[in-house]
Amino acid sequence: MIIDTMTILTSKSSETFLKTKSEIIFLIGSILTSLGILLVTVGGSWDITNHLLSKPETFFSPPHALMYFGVTVTLIGVVLSFVGWKNLQKFKNSYFLSLKIKLIGIGLLTGAGPFDFIWHSYFGLDGLLSPPHFTLITGMFLCSVGGMIGISRYLKFHNSKSISKYLLILAVIPVWLSASGIISSLSLPFSSTDFFQFNPEPTFAFIVASLAYPFLISLSLFLIFRLSHYQFGLMSILGGLFLLIYSTTAIIPNFAMFDTVQFYSLNLIPFVIADVFLKLNRSKLSLFFTGGLIGSVFYMVYYPYVMYTYNEILLGKLVSPSLIYFVYFELIQTVLLYTLIPSIIMGILAVVISAKLTKKILIN
Amino acid sequence: MKLVSFFNSEFLSINVKKFLIYLSAFVILSLYFILTIFILPSEFLMTEQLVPEPSFTAILSETNIALGDSFRLDIVSVNNGDYADIHIVSVAFPDLTRIDDIVKIATYDFTLSPSYIYVDDEIGSKYSGGVETTLAQYPSIEAMSRPLKSDVPTHFDLVVTPQELGLFHIYVKSIGIPHTSDLSHYPYSGILDHQNEYVSVYSVIVNP
Repeated sequence: MIIDTMTILTSKSSETFLKTKSEIIFLIGSILTSLGILLVTVGGSWDITNHLLSKPETFFSPPHALMYFGVTVTLIGVVLSFVGWKNLQKFKNSYFLSLKIKLIGIGLLTGAGPFDFIWHSYFGLDGLLSPPHFTLITGMFLCSVGGMIGISRYLKFHNSKSISKYLLILAVIPVWLSASGIISSLSLPFSSTDFFQFNPEPTFAFIVASLAYPFLISLSLFLIFRLSHYQFGLMSILGGLFLLIYSTTAIIPNFAMFDTVQFYSLNLIPFVIADVFLKLNRSKLSLFFTGGLIGSVFYMVYYPYVMYTYNEILLGKLVSPSLIYFVYFELIQTVLLYTLIPSIIMGILAVVISAKLTKKILIN
Repeated sequence: MKLVSFFNSEFLSINVKKFLIYLSAFVILSLYFILTIFILPSEFLMTEQLVPEPSFTAILSETNIALGDSFRLDIVSVNNGDYADIHIVSVAFPDLTRIDDIVKIATYDFTLSPSYIYVDDEIGSKYSGGVETTLAQYPSIEAMSRPLKSDVPTHFDLVVTPQELGLFHIYVKSIGIPHTSDLSHYPYSGILDHQNEYVSVYSVIVNP
């Protein structure tokens, strides 16, 4: 009898706990979802570099460990989001979109594992673009979007102070990185295997890279700018973090490119300048100028691998790891000649789209 | 009156501040573009490229054998130059149309698995690393290490059992990638193979 009463009390108190803390649980779920995807994308970028360098690789390589740890963290995040959402007393409808996207994303993400295993069993090693890899990247992208919406809405509903807005960096960076993964798989010539030739057609790849990368950089930076209610500094930190992740996973592991880190770190300048301009003036002209500026530097920001896409159509050279930066710098002026105007236009277009997306994210 | 003048001066001072910030931002941006598009690329393009210098020694166990007997070809290759992204040793059999059981690998310590090339496979030519291609006229085996540092020896030993009488030829060559100089392949001269690349020829007489 006493045990029964205690069981009822315990279950009632845990129910009360869940109900009172449900929104916080949902927020923690969203944070973990975004953090998990961040880990997966960092591991993925590191893994691509290891493949290019042909480092001896077993299943238990550090990048793989990081990626699987990231998937686990994401899974925990989605489960917590679901538990939090189920017990929500208010804003249940407002958080549903975030949960729905996360659930679809985690379904694809976890389903991609066995799909990849079956694919490997039948067709051996696959390249960057393959049906299981595309399923995985799409799942990552959806989870990160779900996490971003969850975090942004929580901050909006609670009129969070400026310090909490730094959480938006964690919300937006996985979206930027996973969307970069989608663009890379549709434009980099890393997908040819013995069984399948999934390398994108060079002209198509050229167009995709020239339009999608500038759009994405500008969209990511303007999303954080608008979601944070124009908080100064967030664009610079987000841009700086992106550069830090790319330099540590794609440049530093290749000893032949180590010296080019100084070139790459200069790319922080346009991000900081954009931040300063928008602090001083948020007129349409200023917004479009910064959007165009950010879009125009995509070839520098996506150093070094973006070079492979342009090499296919402009030079056709064999690029071994120690030649990457030679070919990259050989191409830089030609690529900018072809892509400067479209990249500026895409950067400006992203400014417009970011306004509409921010409204959709924050107003339900 | 004083108040108006105060506001006017503050307004002026804010505008001057803004102007100075814009001016500095434009100067920094211009420097950024000049550095990243013109100065640094030409600086980096002037740095010396890595020049791998592959070489090998190949020793035949026999130069005269009876039909049905086997001989060994022991190859030790090394990179005498800079770090090589890829180090390749290729052994080709111009008298064969297929390798089957005629050639067996006895020793192999390259980092990648050996790659078998069959007649009519599309292969790279003229040291282009696959940019220029041709069709294989005879079978070969490629041993590959990715990467290979300087002065690290690699071993590739074969046991060959010819099935026909007469001279049995073997072509051996080594290529370093990046192929940045004429020293990035070995041998430097001699007979050209089906890939239009120089090879060392080893021959064994197969007697009845």
